[in-house]
Amino acid sequence: MIACTSCQHNEFFGALYCSECGTQLTYLELSPTETAVHNGKEDAIGSLPGVEELLTKTPMQTSAESRVSIKLMNSGLILPLDSGAEFTLGRVSGNQPILPDVDLTPYQAYEGGVSRLHATIRIEKSTVTLTDLGSANGTRVNGQLIHPHTIQPLENGDMIALGRFKIQILIRS
Amino acid sequence: MVALNLMYSRSSLIKLGEPQILFTMLELTASEGARSEPSPPLNVCLVLDRSTSMRGERIDTVKKTAIQLLRQLRQEDIISIVTFSDRAQVLVSGGRYSDKIEIENRIKAIQPSGGTEIYQGMDLGFLEVRSRSSNNNTNHLILLTDGRTYGDEGECLRLADQAANSGICISGLGIGTEWNDIFLDSLAARTGGSSMYISQPKDIEKTLKGVFLELRQIYAERVSFDYVAQPGVELHYAFRLSPQSGPMKTSSPIRLGRIPKEAGLALLLEFIVDPIENGSEALSLIEGHISMDIPARANTNYSIPLHLSRPITTEIRAEPTPTQLLKAVSQLTLYRMQERANQYLALGQLDDASRHMKNLATHLFSQDQHDLARTALQEADNILLKHRLTESGKKSIKYGTRALLLPSGFTGQGDSPEVEESNP
Repeated sequence: MIACTSCQHNEFFGALYCSECGTQLTYLELSPTETAVHNGKEDAIGSLPGVEELLTKTPMQTSAESRVSIKLMNSGLILPLDSGAEFTLGRVSGNQPILPDVDLTPYQAYEGGVSRLHATIRIEKSTVTLTDLGSANGTRVNGQLIHPHTIQPLENGDMIALGRFKIQILIRS
Repeated sequence: MVALNLMYSRSSLIKLGEPQILFTMLELTASEGARSEPSPPLNVCLVLDRSTSMRGERIDTVKKTAIQLLRQLRQEDIISIVTFSDRAQVLVSGGRYSDKIEIENRIKAIQPSGGTEIYQGMDLGFLEVRSRSSNNNTNHLILLTDGRTYGDEGECLRLADQAANSGICISGLGIGTEWNDIFLDSLAARTGGSSMYISQPKDIEKTLKGVFLELRQIYAERVSFDYVAQPGVELHYAFRLSPQSGPMKTSSPIRLGRIPKEAGLALLLEFIVDPIENGSEALSLIEGHISMDIPARANTNYSIPLHLSRPITTEIRAEPTPTQLLKAVSQLTLYRMQERANQYLALGQLDDASRHMKNLATHLFSQDQHDLARTALQEADNILLKHRLTESGKKSIKYGTRALLLPSGFTGQGDSPEVEESNP
């Protein structure tokens, strides 16, 4: 079985999306250079390998261990936010003096209308919040435009649009 | 004449001590040259609900559209019209007409009254189409209703099976919110047809004309998928992506309806494979064939053999899923989430039902389907507060998520939020 990185629901190997929460299952995003190998056990049914035995540990699986992650909807990539309490989301351009903690430049952030310093995600003990930093194209949570510089609480699965660039917040309880 | 294209979610099955899933997508398309060939003549019956609830804009629009369709018929087409309430009558018997004025006057004179007994209308409509059916025609029955039928659902479904065996396809068009979508879905799916939701009377004309337009663009008719699953393999879910997206039954034969000249027919299959314990190098999933009639070639019972199998490996390979298949499964997941929400609701598991609706809303927001997403959020609240869904919300979400699977996507909302184009 494969556990969904978002809600931990178990799905049969080969499922592409979680039937509970709709999240794309990330074991498909194994690095092309990493291939798991059958552990060579006997062919008897009782000792056939399970999926977990066949999968090597990958960066994607590491993200499942983080309490908070963001999923980039245009690529399905999941980025863990696993160190520090506050993360600035944005992109890098030219000689900008302050760099974002999460650089979305490689993921077509410019085309999506993401500002250099667009928004911050703050992770506290019991809450996760989002603040728009006065971005040019604004930030929406579940389709609702949020006011700049105002703290917006987030829930697991909330859909955030940085301009037109969409991410989903994944929060493990 | 017809090309078959197959896609698998993975290049191989894995030797595994637990069940695994494999998706397969089948595409049937008419060859390039076939697209210029004439479409088969129509043999269509309109079975129109004229119960009291149809009074006003609904019946007026139906009458106006029926007359317009009649005027657009080709010389070789046959149309019949049956009206029903708690009894049915043949308003226009199939044939080719010289006196269209007289027929139009009969349509204009339809007066709504009485209840809704669908079987009465279906039975007469079926007899009309069957009496002129031929393998060289498009034999089709279009049921248009705004209400629930009571007590005769079983007879209707048996009639649908009879229609399927006679090569007649049924489309079910439901107006407003009071009709039974599960019944209409089942009725149509048995014949390779589908049900459609018409939320507003003003959409009757567009939908009905759309059905006729599609019927005039057919290359192959009565497409049927006969198969035998191999031991340890279950066809768990089947869904037609186009034309007219909708769930199919999984038992053989699966009636797939028709292959349009341009878009073709696409079917998504989900297999669950039992633990693979032997040392075989490959596993056969199903053996079967797809049969169809191609009227333009006077070719009946044209058949394409189909054998689905995959090699077995002991490694999980990192490989991309074909984009087209991945996208289809992604959209299908949304449709299935609303199905699951309804299943949980029927079991009284309100929290689970509401959670599925909220999750669905999240994904709809991500696809800029804002109206549909808000409807899903509203219905998530209704589940918790009123322990039920509104009929309009339920149908909007069901048919809205189904329409997302069509190549053109869901166009019923048109509400992408405006994002000011500033240089970020």
